[in-house]
Amino acid sequence: MKFGHIFAEAFRAMLANPLRTMLTMLGIIIGIASVVLMLAIGDGIKKFIDKQLAVLGSNLILVQSDTRKSPGARARTGTTQTLTIDDAEAINRLSSVAGAVPVLNTFSQIAYGNTNANAQVQGTTSATFVIRNLRLGAGIGLSEVDVTSASRVAVLGKKIAEELFYKNDPIGQSIRIDNQSFQVIGVLDNEGQSFDMGDVGQIVLVPISTARVSLVRMQTPRSVAYIVAQSKTAEGVNEMVRDIEEVLRDRHRIRADDPDDFRVVNFGEIAKQGEAIGKGLAFALGFIGAVSLVVGGIGIMNIMLVSVTERTREIGIRMAIGARPSDVLWQFLIEAIAICLVSGIVGIAISMGLAAAVNATGMFELTVGVRAILIATLFSGFIGVFFGFYPARRASKLQPVECLRYE
Amino acid sequence: MLMDSTRAQDAMQRVLIDVIDVKKSYVTNLVTTPVLHGVNFSMQRGEFVAIMGQSGSGKSTLMNILGCLDTPSDGEYRLDGKQVSALSRAQLAVLRNKTIGFVFQSFNLLKRMTIQDNVALPLIYAGVSRAEARRRASQQLENVGLGEYGQRQPNQLSGGQQQRVAIARALVADPPLVLADEPTGNLDTKTSVEIMSLLTRLNREAKQSIILVTHEPDVAAYASRLVRLKDGLVLYDGPAATGLQQMRTEQLEQELGMPASEVSE
Repeated sequence: MKFGHIFAEAFRAMLANPLRTMLTMLGIIIGIASVVLMLAIGDGIKKFIDKQLAVLGSNLILVQSDTRKSPGARARTGTTQTLTIDDAEAINRLSSVAGAVPVLNTFSQIAYGNTNANAQVQGTTSATFVIRNLRLGAGIGLSEVDVTSASRVAVLGKKIAEELFYKNDPIGQSIRIDNQSFQVIGVLDNEGQSFDMGDVGQIVLVPISTARVSLVRMQTPRSVAYIVAQSKTAEGVNEMVRDIEEVLRDRHRIRADDPDDFRVVNFGEIAKQGEAIGKGLAFALGFIGAVSLVVGGIGIMNIMLVSVTERTREIGIRMAIGARPSDVLWQFLIEAIAICLVSGIVGIAISMGLAAAVNATGMFELTVGVRAILIATLFSGFIGVFFGFYPARRASKLQPVECLRYE
Repeated sequence: MLMDSTRAQDAMQRVLIDVIDVKKSYVTNLVTTPVLHGVNFSMQRGEFVAIMGQSGSGKSTLMNILGCLDTPSDGEYRLDGKQVSALSRAQLAVLRNKTIGFVFQSFNLLKRMTIQDNVALPLIYAGVSRAEARRRASQQLENVGLGEYGQRQPNQLSGGQQQRVAIARALVADPPLVLADEPTGNLDTKTSVEIMSLLTRLNREAKQSIILVTHEPDVAAYASRLVRLKDGLVLYDGPAATGLQQMRTEQLEQELGMPASEVSE
């Protein structure tokens, strides 16, 4: 007997009792949908984090000033500036550091002609382009000379450039930041969110020296808001953090038993936390899926046993006209597998629908990949074999004489 | 010498069934119930044999053994030259598929399949392709006069038509033996005659060997040979007409409580 024929018969048997088949399939459908969504969420979170890291650059840490633990009220983090440009340069010279940039931030009005917009203006140095993976869509980036000479130049994010200039070429044009004239020298190509810049498309970059002189008032002239540093390797991040702590404590003359006046934020760690949350969620879904699949499998086994009993006479007739025990075994086994595979396909379809609904909100990207579909299909087939085998074997062991007598 | 051996071979080929001292007992709850006490019976190709017996005579048991649905506890059963008791369940299934066409009292067609697919099923189990099986099924349906009904479902046909479908299914794989178990048991008299005429025609025209199990003398009369069973032994084995006459006499004697010969005096 050929497999195509057995499959045709399996589908005929499934359609003979559509409501019962559908209820039987429900457990497997929920299980498979959960497993597929679990894989999609796992992939989605990994992709999300990878994308974030690609935007902000990998192996980055941020050094913020922190208030000294003096008696009395403790001021909010970042409100006193203990870090300076010289600290940044000292960090930059460390052997474990690939690059370090000091940052000054302000929120300013940007105007070109009679259009204007509000944007975050970040004063920084040329190294920021390297360590943050910033690419230029047009023009050039900030240079060392721009920083040392405090030139009034600016590099615009993609969106803010479009907002101000529409389709005109912004390069060489003069814009006003807080009513001071700057020349646009470049436009960024990057998109997405950055940890400290917000939307990269909305940022305006200027030399830190210019920012300090014209845009940001600081308590001391060489103070900076924070320093971003990149380690040479992913494994070297922790070593770099130790080096930075050492050099800053030394420079700030902090005694051995006094606390730091700065704080190091490791973005890799934050990303890892996000990944852990994602893994937890995926694990919970996977658990629901596994439980549902086992319960669904038992349901299928139950229905197959009922089906074997109901069709005892049919089994007898088939055996009388020449069905071997193995033919009967295959018939029922394939029926169980067919139920599971159809459930698997429905489950995959449902999970794809849910993923599409999540994607439509634009908050998070869920993709049901080929891997997830393959795993789900194999898994549902496996459940069919596992839970269908016992009923099928029982059917194949029936004696034709007794089956033909069965009413 | 040479002639002898050819004759022996010829005789071997003519023998379809050889039952030698077959015994069968059933064991339930450690109690052994003997049903067949040693049945001897042989059948040539092309014969039309009716097996009769009251309930409890071992008639059904013998039929199950002859149909390779069950195996004897003791003794030898040779079908179409094959020693049946030595075969596994799978080998028995193949033997049934190739050698025996079953016709049952309750037709036993598969509900969810079309008439054509029902008839084609033995060929499907024999490994014939679906197209070829369907073609041969249609041909067989023509032979029993139901060529038009191939795409119908079994429950759309009358009892007599269903039984003719069952006969078509029994014949489709061209088996040496047709085993009909009370084929007219669920049919009215008129339809019974039609079915029995069809079986008789098959025996006369196509030299189809047929074993017919029945308890109705009218039906058994279509056969040429009668085997009567009583209490697990063969009571009569000979021409059907003589056997049936003898049965009528016995019945009469039983009703009158004295030998029939005395009555006639």
